[in-house]
Amino acid sequence: MSQRSSRVRNVFLPLEPAAVAELWDSRFGIPAEAFSGYRFFKKANSIWAISDVELPRLSYEAIGMRIMNCKDRPWKPTTAALQVFGKYAARNLVHLDADSARIFLEGKSQEVGEAAAMECEPGYVVVFYRGEILGCGLYSHGLLVSQIPKERRLASRGE
Amino acid sequence: MDFLDRYRDIVPDWEAFRAIQSRPLYSSARINTLKIEREVLLERLTEEAVPYRRFDWYPLGLKIDVESPGKLVENLLGHIHIQEELSMVPPLVLGPIPGENILDLCASPGSKTTQISAMMENRGLVIANEPSLARVAALRSNCERLGAMNVAITRYDGRNFPRGSFDRVLVDAPCSAEGRERRGPGVLERSNCKRSLDLSVLQIGLLKNALRLTKPGGVVVYSTCTYAPEENEMVVSAALNEIAKTNESDEAEEPTKAHLERVVIPGLQECPGISEWNGRDLGREMSLSARYYPHMNDTGGFFVAKIIKS
Repeated sequence: MSQRSSRVRNVFLPLEPAAVAELWDSRFGIPAEAFSGYRFFKKANSIWAISDVELPRLSYEAIGMRIMNCKDRPWKPTTAALQVFGKYAARNLVHLDADSARIFLEGKSQEVGEAAAMECEPGYVVVFYRGEILGCGLYSHGLLVSQIPKERRLASRGE
Repeated sequence: MDFLDRYRDIVPDWEAFRAIQSRPLYSSARINTLKIEREVLLERLTEEAVPYRRFDWYPLGLKIDVESPGKLVENLLGHIHIQEELSMVPPLVLGPIPGENILDLCASPGSKTTQISAMMENRGLVIANEPSLARVAALRSNCERLGAMNVAITRYDGRNFPRGSFDRVLVDAPCSAEGRERRGPGVLERSNCKRSLDLSVLQIGLLKNALRLTKPGGVVVYSTCTYAPEENEMVVSAALNEIAKTNESDEAEEPTKAHLERVVIPGLQECPGISEWNGRDLGREMSLSARYYPHMNDTGGFFVAKIIKS
């Protein structure tokens, strides 16, 4: 990779919190106040969030947490970000029971009943088990595809 | 393992110290209060029949008796972090307060960084510095898994970290890691005095820069997981002497002074740092630092010094 492209890669551009909040509101119904204690930055196709503090003038490799990937449409929330902001979500939620939570954490796809995925529109969803956020799933026509990153998956039983 | 013999005169109860080296260390974990309350987490572990014991000295520390604690669902969800018992000491000695500016100069894999972030309840700023790109990946992954929202990562050589005025700086320095023998035998075979002296050049550079980057009245904690005085008291003593000398030669600058404060963790038994090594006087002040030996608390080995910049 050329020097120039690596420099470009490392530029964090400040973003208006309102612009970020609007995206999360339209998909998950999360109120803008949930994002008020943070600053947001864009780097390449990713959006990052950090607690609202003055950042000293330094060259940064990462600023807080990567919360969204905007490379493809629709944008995709990270599992880590859903574990922070997902508790404020009002729609596109999936509630799993113990067995399906395990399948989800193993990184596998599964059919979920209508009761579990009440009124979910196709797309990314916040996945819950007993009120706690497991992470990001991709839901479409009754199928839930786990988006749990590989290094954070449970080992499959019997493996 | 005979390399340890050179510590015969400074380690109390020598036979017990030698004997424990071949006994493996249990796994331990820290409860991540950024994501879960302690009581709720303990209930979960009980429900799932995960055998654990609490630390006597730290409410968030647990000894966990399972083969692969990293694969526990609690770890994958960021409710706990697998962290060696004594590795939880330096952040407690550093004592970060929510809202402060903290620098963690040698941060990866981020166990102490995220503990600091949790102590600050995600308020204020932690700059986590790690020069190696490969090691930054683990640092980032741990910060994100644990929900640390007030951490920014930089990649400077810690000796040249350019600027800042931090309330507290942690220098958990690269070291020969003799205190980790119980986690994976073989460390001691690679240890020797020359290696320690080579490392000490880097360590002194890191500590001197940390002192420069700290506000007057601020705190610097220097820690290693090794016994070698060349990497511990000698580093602290040399860095304090050198910053004092720099000031004498540069009249324009206000003198930088720094002194040690005693390191005590109630419930953990420590030995005082040594004031003399191989006939060399390191200053009586060094006895305020703490040496943790594996046979005294059934842990690994650690050294911790707390420095106050005047």
